[in-house]
Amino acid sequence: MADKRLATSKVAGTWAWFFQRLSAVLLIVLLGVHIWITHFADIDPEVHITVAGVETRLDQLLYIAVDYALLAVVLFHGLNGARTVMLDFDMFAKRHRAVDAALFIVGVVSLIWGIIVLFPFIGVNGG
Amino acid sequence: MKVSSFKWLFGRNSEFWPTNMNTGMWAWVGHRLTGILLVVYLFLHLSFLSQASLNHDSFDQLMETMAQPLFVLLDFLLVCAVIFHAMNGLRVVLFDMGIGIRKQKLVFWIMMAISAVLVLVGFWLISVLIFGGA
Repeated sequence: MADKRLATSKVAGTWAWFFQRLSAVLLIVLLGVHIWITHFADIDPEVHITVAGVETRLDQLLYIAVDYALLAVVLFHGLNGARTVMLDFDMFAKRHRAVDAALFIVGVVSLIWGIIVLFPFIGVNGG
Repeated sequence: MKVSSFKWLFGRNSEFWPTNMNTGMWAWVGHRLTGILLVVYLFLHLSFLSQASLNHDSFDQLMETMAQPLFVLLDFLLVCAVIFHAMNGLRVVLFDMGIGIRKQKLVFWIMMAISAVLVLVGFWLISVLIFGGA
């Protein structure tokens, strides 16, 4: 475990702490909606997920918004959480700037990739 | 990691040895382990969706495989991890707002009771996919 107590500045750390809590509460709502719509609402639960099913769901603007919001919030929460865990270890705490940079890049690339990945499904049925 | 430092971290006298851990420590360890698991799942989830984006036919095949009872059971374990992480996380948020700290053990067990109910509801919803429809 790390001996260096403050790996980042106090101000940055407080914002990270605050947004981790805010995203946590948002995630409970967004993830609940996501799981409900994907697996239970309007579809026979015994029918597995199909491309056609995803296309139908993504005809609704609200669901596109939920999915993209979930993507952004979950990436922040997950990677910021991973950062917290990593900085508890000396080997990462010593290189906290590199850890921050690496996780930031992973987050941005995943966000862009996640946004692009849904494009082929959106508006297929002309909705 | 050297053997001595491993012993210091996880040995009989360490704070992570099961009989040395109190309620809050179990919650902390559980939160970290489920957190790491969920981050791994997040990227797995993204890569599976990428498969759908790149090749529709193979995605439908992939999802057909994932609908088999064994994988649905893994889904259920995932749901358990999410519920624990969410309920324990709410407990952390409550404490950060200054609510319930004096009764922290009670709050932990209340959250775990809510988790247990949610897990049972989840199992009831998912069981159709594991055992087949009635």
